[in-house]
Amino acid sequence: MTSARIHGIVLCGVGGQGVLSLAQIVLEALRRSGFHALQSEIHGMSQRGGSVHAMVCFAEVPLSSPIIDEGCADLLIALEPLEALRYVAMLKMNGHLVVSEEPQSDMEGYPPLEQVYGALKAVRGCHLVDTEDLARRLSHKQAGGMALLGMASRFLPVADGIWREVITQRFEAKGQRVIEKNIEAFEAGQGLVQATVGV
Amino acid sequence: MAQTSLALGVEAVGCAAFDAGIKGAFGYPGTPSTEGFEYVEAMIHAEPTGRVAQWAANEKVAYDLALGMSYAGQRSLVTMKHVGLNVAMDAYANSALTGVRGGLVLLVADDPGMHSSQNEQDSRRLAKFAWLPVLEPSTVQECYDFTWRAFDLSESLQVPVMIRVVTRLAHCRGLMARRDVLTPTGLGVAPQDTIQDWVLIPSNARRRYLDLLAKLPLMAQQVAPLNRLIPGTSRRGVALAGMGRAYFEQLSLEYPELLSLPRLEIAAYPMEPSLEKDLLAQVDEIFVFEEAYPVLEERLTFLRGNVAIHGKLDGALPRTGELTPRLLKKALGLKTAEAKAASDLQLPLRAPRLCEGCGHTDAFEALREALKNVGAADARVFGDIGCYTLAAQEPMNAIHAVVEMGASISMAAGAALAGQSPSVAVIGDSTFGHSGMPALLTAAASGANVTVLILDNRVVGMTGQQPSMALDQVERMVLGLGIPEAQLQVLTPLPRQHEANVQALEAALRHPGPSVLVFRRECIQSLRRGVLRDHDRELKACTALAACQESHS
Repeated sequence: MTSARIHGIVLCGVGGQGVLSLAQIVLEALRRSGFHALQSEIHGMSQRGGSVHAMVCFAEVPLSSPIIDEGCADLLIALEPLEALRYVAMLKMNGHLVVSEEPQSDMEGYPPLEQVYGALKAVRGCHLVDTEDLARRLSHKQAGGMALLGMASRFLPVADGIWREVITQRFEAKGQRVIEKNIEAFEAGQGLVQATVGV
Repeated sequence: MAQTSLALGVEAVGCAAFDAGIKGAFGYPGTPSTEGFEYVEAMIHAEPTGRVAQWAANEKVAYDLALGMSYAGQRSLVTMKHVGLNVAMDAYANSALTGVRGGLVLLVADDPGMHSSQNEQDSRRLAKFAWLPVLEPSTVQECYDFTWRAFDLSESLQVPVMIRVVTRLAHCRGLMARRDVLTPTGLGVAPQDTIQDWVLIPSNARRRYLDLLAKLPLMAQQVAPLNRLIPGTSRRGVALAGMGRAYFEQLSLEYPELLSLPRLEIAAYPMEPSLEKDLLAQVDEIFVFEEAYPVLEERLTFLRGNVAIHGKLDGALPRTGELTPRLLKKALGLKTAEAKAASDLQLPLRAPRLCEGCGHTDAFEALREALKNVGAADARVFGDIGCYTLAAQEPMNAIHAVVEMGASISMAAGAALAGQSPSVAVIGDSTFGHSGMPALLTAAASGANVTVLILDNRVVGMTGQQPSMALDQVERMVLGLGIPEAQLQVLTPLPRQHEANVQALEAALRHPGPSVLVFRRECIQSLRRGVLRDHDRELKACTALAACQESHS
């Protein structure tokens, strides 16, 4: 029997980090996995270095609302730790957060980093990822987003082959080397130690 | 099998317009409508079969281009954001009287919640104002299907048809199943015996207005299949439109008890009141879920009798802002989910701002210093619509009024005529081409003591670096509008030009009459993407050729 359960993913970060592009990869991967999926995004002013978020919903039945309500998201993928904190209340009690540790702190009033990490670690189901270190190890400056997605992929019902297919298609225009670097980053994210932080 | 792909709501409108055989698409960029035009533009460029996609200098021009194409017997699409329709309103309202020949569909994207707009006006009201049909889809697939239908309606009713979407649908990415593609087939130019219909002198306009009003019942009849009343057993009912319909439908999956509520689903106007009356007869109360203005709610309130109507007017929903599934849940008294506790850490807002290295920043810094040097550090500066609007915020605080496209120059002139000195306007090149030109023409004619800064980044920056109609022509435009050559300066907004720019600004501020300073440096985003690379290469080759020909003549 098909389940009417609706799954929600929130992706967030700062304008220019590639939040919307990541959301499109997730959407396409879910669609290819046989789900009905919808994505909501906000363009415009928010692209100029402001907060950006996108939502992806999927289910085994057709959906009509692209918006996820508070307390209804299963997963939060955050490219920036302060931005992650804005969306914690979007998550279900048993939802997961996959968060980059790398701050974009070039703004007024950014709180001390220890406080940001502290607040995140207090959230059950939070997985902090040292994307900066990972990017260095892979010699790939843009590896962060793909690595987060790799880590987040274990919470998503998408087969490895489909992820690879979608990532390949996404970067096709940029050549084989870029495709390989992104798949490498994705797989590195998948391989990260799977310890859950928090209480 | 139908070809399916993922598309944004507005992209589905663009795609359907292509498939329905438009000869041309026109528009002016504006969030959240822009991608609709860009999608069909890409399709047209990928298949060079004589179709055209052309950005226009403003929405009115775009609309007139579409109307002209319709006059010539071809289908056309015109796209804009909600406030753009204000600019095109003269054309839109009067095209109701001329009627159309080839199908004309207008895509308008409203922005409830004002994600990137100065108001949240509801375009359904403007369609009613013009006595024209409007279709309101609630899913990506409906965006596609309704657009096809809109072309058929436009041709059978011989009026323009509006597709109204809101931000959430415009930027909702979902599955779109396409139909077969029609090749543009012209109906031929409007026949001889209908020429007078298109000439809106009073004698014709009076007749055409009666014709239009006489068509209203036919419009209601032809759009009626898009509206329906689904019976239910409950004494509570709902009236749904647009995203209200989408959200309620999905909530019914999670809360099956909602299926017992009689449901009025409205996706097209003008509507006959019979469905509303049928709903009112079945229930004691009705919740109205629609986006932006209480259009349906006011109708139901007018007809209600003893039925209680809940929505934006009685406070069951907020009067302003976006509709959300949460608001529906709260209004209907449904239990909301338990969420993780939000952090109690104070989270500072991360506002959008000008890009690192943007030329606008250098222009504003020069302006600030020049104003200080002429003893007017606290001068009020009139701004306009574009990326540079961001300078109104902390820490720059460089502009002090932003109203609508082109207002900077005319407001500065008005303030100057009231005695404000200095009176400064800041406007971008595309906004100048959009509606700054008539303002500068007037300012020059009035002799008002205004200093106008045209921040020429060579593209429409904010909406994604679309081509600016004013590209490479700003100086000629300024001179042609009556600004003397001595009062026009072209500057480069770069840190190393700061002193020279401050001096030029000071001279302009001290000059007792209109003066214009063009700050030209390409948008760093478009530079990075190479948007103008081919254009500039060609331009350089042409200039070199001309110089060569001259030296040999």
